[in-house]
Amino acid sequence: MNDKTKISLVGLDSLRILGLRILLAEEKDCQTDNFSSFGDFEPFSDKAAGYIVAGKVFMENLDFFLPRKSRTLVVAEGKGEKAAPAGIGFIYPEADETEIKANIARFVKSLRGGEPHGELSAREVEVLRLIAKGKINKEIADELCISINTVITHRKNLSSKLGVKSASGLSLYAMMNGII
Amino acid sequence: MAIYNTDTRLSEAILKHPSLIPVIDRLGVSLGVGDRTIGEVCEKCGIDKGFFLSMVNTFIDEEYFPVNPRDTFTLAKTIDYLEKTDAYYLKSQLPNIERHFSSLISRSGNDNNLELLMTFYGEASQELRECMSYDADVLYPTLRKGVVPPEYTERDSAYNDVGEKLHDLLYLIVAHLKGTYDHNLCMAVISAVFSLERDIRQNNRIRQRILKPSVLEMCGNKA
Repeated sequence: MNDKTKISLVGLDSLRILGLRILLAEEKDCQTDNFSSFGDFEPFSDKAAGYIVAGKVFMENLDFFLPRKSRTLVVAEGKGEKAAPAGIGFIYPEADETEIKANIARFVKSLRGGEPHGELSAREVEVLRLIAKGKINKEIADELCISINTVITHRKNLSSKLGVKSASGLSLYAMMNGII
Repeated sequence: MAIYNTDTRLSEAILKHPSLIPVIDRLGVSLGVGDRTIGEVCEKCGIDKGFFLSMVNTFIDEEYFPVNPRDTFTLAKTIDYLEKTDAYYLKSQLPNIERHFSSLISRSGNDNNLELLMTFYGEASQELRECMSYDADVLYPTLRKGVVPPEYTERDSAYNDVGEKLHDLLYLIVAHLKGTYDHNLCMAVISAVFSLERDIRQNNRIRQRILKPSVLEMCGNKA
């Protein structure tokens, strides 16, 4: 398994990208990918553990970012973000260097603390996503073209790896970790 | 695990297993038990010793299977006990957790995932209320009339499911809580949820090992 923490930089200008890359390089084992627009980024969004995103891009794509707010850091661009929903992490370019560095370190730490699903296989993540959508075993089996027994095995593995037994607990895990 | 008998000092049993405090209270024994043995306390309070020991030992030891008389006395007394348990959940434990959770959210930062966790707790709590409501409105009155509801065995896992959700909640708080939060209030929530989850699990043993055999006996089956 590649254990680098992948972070996508979305919709940022060159100067901010350069600054963030330097700051993230100070955090061990971080890898960044740069996307100039949300459209370029979205097909690859599953590859990243977290996103640092321009305020305008964030506000224009709340449907995507809100369910993933624990994995998102927004680069504030003005007063517009003050109206953003609660629980969103911001980074302020005008803040002093120490504060910006601490903010980046906290964000990377939270991504690392919150990505045990990195231990899940792609198929297990897919099953978890469908459980969180309220699908029953047969529906999951039909959708993924696998047997019900295989679905049951995936569910057992999910419970064992995540320490969560109930379907609603698994759904909550998926929500808390940006899987849905 | 030591199994208690009539010669065990009740105070020693309680100090070793403080979770017995609400149990003996539901069985009609108040604190201030002095140095009396379980046998002496039962005599003083007019409680059947065998029933008291079955309940206490089943509660504290998951390996313990009581040898109970499957009679209407045991059935009626167990129902009385479970009704008091439900009242304790409704009047104390559930409102207590809700109060702690609300305070925790209002006194913590807005960068955490506590609201999601409280919503999940709300679902588990509602499920528990529905279980207790069915028992109070349907199961216990029907059993008291000497009749077993046809859906009785189908509802076997109802309390287990609630216990499982509370277990998941504890795990999700411990392993996946993010952001800033009030540490003291968070500990209060964890402690209260843990206490409820354990109580549900232990009382479920009483449902399965003491109530159920009496109910099945009543409908002519052997457990």
